[in-house]
Amino acid sequence: MSTSIYDRLGGEAAVDAAVDIFYRKVLADDRISSFFDDVDMDRQRAKQKAFLTFAFGGPNSYAGKDMRAAHARMNLTEQHFDAVMENLGATLTELGVAPALIGEAAAIALSVKGDIVTR
Amino acid sequence: MRETVKVLRFEGQDYPLEEGESVLDCLLRHGQPVNSLCRSGSCQSCLLRATAGTLPAPAQTGLKDAWKQQGFFLACVCRPREDLTIERCDAAASYDSVVERVTPLSPNVIGVRLARPLGFEFRAGQFLQLSRPSDGLMRPYSIASLPGEDELELHVALLSDGQMSGWLRGAQGQGVSLRGPFGECFYQEGEPERPLVLAGTGTGLAPLLGVLRTAVQHGHRGEISLFHGSPQLSGIYLRAELEAFSEALPNLRLFGSLLSGPEAELGTHGRWRFELAPLDQLLFSRHPKLDNHRLFVCGQPALVQSLRKRAYLAGASLSRIHCDAFAAPHSA
Repeated sequence: MSTSIYDRLGGEAAVDAAVDIFYRKVLADDRISSFFDDVDMDRQRAKQKAFLTFAFGGPNSYAGKDMRAAHARMNLTEQHFDAVMENLGATLTELGVAPALIGEAAAIALSVKGDIVTR
Repeated sequence: MRETVKVLRFEGQDYPLEEGESVLDCLLRHGQPVNSLCRSGSCQSCLLRATAGTLPAPAQTGLKDAWKQQGFFLACVCRPREDLTIERCDAAASYDSVVERVTPLSPNVIGVRLARPLGFEFRAGQFLQLSRPSDGLMRPYSIASLPGEDELELHVALLSDGQMSGWLRGAQGQGVSLRGPFGECFYQEGEPERPLVLAGTGTGLAPLLGVLRTAVQHGHRGEISLFHGSPQLSGIYLRAELEAFSEALPNLRLFGSLLSGPEAELGTHGRWRFELAPLDQLLFSRHPKLDNHRLFVCGQPALVQSLRKRAYLAGASLSRIHCDAFAAPHSA
C-alpha cells in the first residue's frame, strides 16, 4: 500500500510551506481574490491549510458534505474552480514538487469539483 | 496502572476528564456551550485560555507566539496531561486605579497617566478597557509605558463629541476601573536581530511606543523603523521626545506621513523624515519586501486591515504581523 502524498511530501511541514505561497497567489488573483479577501486572515489561512491538507490526502480531511456546505452560497463557476486548481499547481511547482505528485494532488481536488461548482 | 483523573477547572466548577478526552468534548459533555467548527485544530473557533497548568504542545499548534505566551489554546485538540484551569477568552479581572496626571500631547491628543494597580500585569503595547465608575462607560486604550513603571501611560484622542475623552481631560484625581490586558501587540523576545516595522496613525502611536520602549530595553539590534501618520505635522506628537530617545539608537529610523503641510516641514529634520504621502505608500516605498520583518500595525481598522494584507503579500508571515485596530465607538 502506498503512503499518502501528504506523507511523501513531508506532512504538516510541507503544508505549512505551501499554505502561504498558495494563499498569496489566490489573494493576488483577480478572478477569485474576492472569495479569499477575509478580514480575519488567520481564519482564512487556516481554511487554506485545511484545503491543502485535503488535496494532499492528509488527516483532518474535509468530508464531501462539508465541502458542499462551505461553498454552497458562493455561486461558484467552473472558471473559479479552474483558477484555484491553477494556483494549486503553481504553488507545488514553485516548491519543486514532482509533476506526478502534483497530478495526484490535482486529482484529489478535482474529485470534489461537483460539490463546489454550483452553476 | 491507570493514571489519576485529570480535572478541568472552568468558571468555578471542576470537570473530570475521561481518558484521552479533549477539553472541548469534556465541556460539551457537561453542557457548557463552547463554539467549535472544524474540530481538528484548524479553524480556531474553539479558542480558550489556560491560566494554570501546562498545555500539551498540539493544543497550541498554529497559534501566534503572542497567543501561546498568553495561554491561548484550541480546545478541540487539547488533551490535557495534567489539571488545567481555563477561561473563556473574554474573561478578565477588574482593577481600581486613579488618574494621576493629564497632559496635552497635541491639539487633539492628551496623555493620561494612571496609577498602576497592584497585580495588574501586562506587556507594553497591549490595551486595557478603562471604565468610569459613575456610569460604567467603557473605552479601550493602549498602554505606552513599560511594566516596571509606577504609572500606566495612555494616549487619548479628543473627539468633538467624545464622552470618555471629554471627561478624562478634567479627570485628574478621579477613580477609574481597568480590565485587561488584551491584545497581541507587544515586543517578542528572543530575536534581537530581526528588523521591526512599527506603523500607526493618530493614537496608534501609543502601542507602538510600548513596543519600541520594550525593544530598546531588551537591546534590540535589528533595524527599527517607526512610521507615524497624521493629516498634519501637529498630529505627529512626541516628536521631540522621540528625537531625543533615538539619539543613542543608530538602528532607529523615524518617519512621519503627512497629508498636508508647507514645504519647510517636509524632508529630513534631525532623525525624522517627513513626507507628503499616505502611510501605506511611505511604508512600502521604504520596505518593498518584508520576508524577514516583524510588523506592528495600529490605528484605524480600514488602514490596519489594508496594511496587514499588503504586508502579507510583501512576504511577511501572518504570525509576524501584530495588529491593533482601534474600533471607534458607534455613538461617541
